[in-house]
Amino acid sequence: MTSQNGSGYRYQSDRDGYANGAGYTDGGGYGAGGGGRRLGMVVGGSLSQGLEVRLESDGGASVEDVSVGSFVTIHGRRRRYFAVVTDLALRAAEDSLRHFPPAGPDGFAAEVMSGTLAYGQLSVMPGMTAPIDGGGVGIGFGNGTGAASASASASGMRAETARTIPEHFAPVFAASQSDIDAVFRAPGAASAAFMLGTPQGMEGASIPLDLGSLAGRSVGIFGASGSGKTFLARMLLAGLVRQGEAVSLVFDMQNEYGWQGQDNDRRGLVKGLKQLFPSRVVTLTLDEESSRRRGVATDGVVRIGYDEIEPADIEVVRELLSLSEVAAAAAYNLERHYGRGQWLREFVGLSGAAVGELAGEIGVNLAALQTLHRRLAAWQRFGFLADAGAGGGRGRGSAGGIIEHLQRGSNVVLEFGKYGHNTAAYVLVSNLLSRRIHETWVRDKELSDGGQGAEPRPLVIFIEEAHKFLTPAIAGQTIFGAIARELRKYNVTLMIVDQRPSGIDAEVMSQLGTRLCCALHDDRDIGAALVGARDAGQLRGVLARLDSRQQALVFGHAVPMPVVVRPRDYDASFYAAMAGGPADGAGSAAATAGGLSESEAERIQREIDELFPP
Amino acid sequence: MSSDPAGVWGGRRVGEVTAAHTERVTAQCYARDGAPPLGALVRVGAPGVYAVVREVRHEAVDPGRPLAPRGAGLETEDEIYAANPQLETMLTTRFAAVIVGYRGAGGRMRRGLPPLPPPLHAFVFLCDGGETAEFAGELHWLRLLLAERTPGGDAALAGFLRRAAAAMASEPGSGSGDGAGFLRRAGRILAAELAGEPQRLQAALRELAAQGAAL
Repeated sequence: MTSQNGSGYRYQSDRDGYANGAGYTDGGGYGAGGGGRRLGMVVGGSLSQGLEVRLESDGGASVEDVSVGSFVTIHGRRRRYFAVVTDLALRAAEDSLRHFPPAGPDGFAAEVMSGTLAYGQLSVMPGMTAPIDGGGVGIGFGNGTGAASASASASGMRAETARTIPEHFAPVFAASQSDIDAVFRAPGAASAAFMLGTPQGMEGASIPLDLGSLAGRSVGIFGASGSGKTFLARMLLAGLVRQGEAVSLVFDMQNEYGWQGQDNDRRGLVKGLKQLFPSRVVTLTLDEESSRRRGVATDGVVRIGYDEIEPADIEVVRELLSLSEVAAAAAYNLERHYGRGQWLREFVGLSGAAVGELAGEIGVNLAALQTLHRRLAAWQRFGFLADAGAGGGRGRGSAGGIIEHLQRGSNVVLEFGKYGHNTAAYVLVSNLLSRRIHETWVRDKELSDGGQGAEPRPLVIFIEEAHKFLTPAIAGQTIFGAIARELRKYNVTLMIVDQRPSGIDAEVMSQLGTRLCCALHDDRDIGAALVGARDAGQLRGVLARLDSRQQALVFGHAVPMPVVVRPRDYDASFYAAMAGGPADGAGSAAATAGGLSESEAERIQREIDELFPP
Repeated sequence: MSSDPAGVWGGRRVGEVTAAHTERVTAQCYARDGAPPLGALVRVGAPGVYAVVREVRHEAVDPGRPLAPRGAGLETEDEIYAANPQLETMLTTRFAAVIVGYRGAGGRMRRGLPPLPPPLHAFVFLCDGGETAEFAGELHWLRLLLAERTPGGDAALAGFLRRAAAAMASEPGSGSGDGAGFLRRAGRILAAELAGEPQRLQAALRELAAQGAAL
């Protein structure tokens, strides 16, 4: 039985009403019906610690039906609150129930006591709130009636961060799709929203993500291996490429993002960015042979000149190469001795005996210099290192070439091929290239600020295994530490993917605007992933209980409040959505099964690119 | 005592009020074997005060003349009464009932205590199944019975619920739900009322469970 009271919320009063009146479980209920089933009422709590909600089990709401991370709406007297469930508890009105639990084989006493003396309690964290209209019908979030939802969106009322809490005994309902839309959809961005996935416990609903604000600050994607972070990252990158506001530079360690990636669950291959956006993505490789073996056509080969490597780059890979501080510092002596741009080529070409002489000459500990020589001489096996002139400067495969692609608005995926297995090579190349690109962006931004030239495009640099080079010890020395710290001052942000957030400098972590955390198993990693987050204490329980795969807790700049999502499937329907027009949903209707239709404009651009290589 | 297999009594007149105060009435039966059973709902006077029988006493009419045994040498108890016809006037049956509701203005059924107790010599009627089921449609007044805090009070409570459940089971169309559902609802109210007395609650719930099984 459903009745409407003066404040406009739905009050369901008997058992049948719960089952029948629940628009939430009803397939057609989302858009029009909106209101979810009633769960209980607020009985205590605080803004800082979260609210306590007593479940009303006589209405059919069981503590077993509510999961951590799911959304609820609280209908206060003047405001409606949108909250996330952070903990579940079993409570008893009388402590003596522990000592005298209900007895009897038929379970009558247990049935009667549960929901009265013994009951379920939700801890919920109010995230967003919106006022209820004076008229008592139009309200900030989706309401129990279609008319009210329409009124809410028509008035353009925007939910804001909750700085108040509802009154005692405010009724609590499961959230509906219209509630989610009201909270997560940026105003005016309704048509361009990127659908990230399904919120916890709400099959059929979907969470929109504001890619503009995602790219506006650095992003962290964390999760144990196999938790689905690569799929999540690939999906976000595809969204960014399609949206086109920012360009991305992907340092693709495992060759997962360019042409195609592995789907370990289905033992198949999925489309990479190049297949999804042929004209907007350039794939480059450090390892031509590997690309050929994999049958992947790339748009170019990247070479790094010996002359481009600076002593500071050696500092960054010092730990990875097991070099002492003395040995790493010797690079500066070598640079002084041989000259800038010359030192590495000269040094690795020395014989063992010559190294001994050199040690005395430049006043460096012999053993340290020998170690440095051994390590750096091994780099001669790196096929991507070339003599000055061959790859340096502004050749097509160099840092300069990558910069040109990015400036033209092409997204770049740099595949590492076999070098992806060598962390030192990955760190060396990504740090070095990023440093050059960052320099360019800083210069262009400063010129633009001075009125000379256009503002550089927003750039997202994507790196994996971030804990290898954003450790507290070297975060300050890498360009990535600097980019994270300076926020988006120069229009460059990071997207870092990692499985060990505890290894990442806390300062860098705290600068991440948005974090997407898949399941993490180590307590330290869980703690680290939440460093600097508001309500970290309450989110901890949520993060610790994520499914071990395909589920992520998203919080920070790009979402108005923390949300647990099951990312959408990276399959034909996603390809179709990416291939479609600006609206996410529009593409699916035109999509052919499993196919990706290249638009006319994209086809022409691709042909131009092929005929006249940039 | 007349047989009543369904446990549902008609609206039979059983006696008159001999003492009354706000919370309780005491009545004397017309017949020595005419007492309503423990837990029965009675209506006193008109438009009526409702009360639940919580104590039945067989005793001497004159408390100043205690009874003495009279059956020595006799074979059966009936022979005692046959041999002593004066006993019919010396002995009586009285019962006490806890007031739990009344008919208010316009004859509307109300739960709780009436503004005034029923007058002395008011007639007492045993409510039939329909009236019992109607009164049991709302149960928050159960605390009036629980306040007795005696084994007799709890037995009266159990008796009332048993009779109400039986009435509902035999009249499913009464709008108050089925007997088992009624017992569950009653159990929830007992759980809330007896939160601080887990053992008493468990005893009451055991009783309800047994009744549910018997339905």
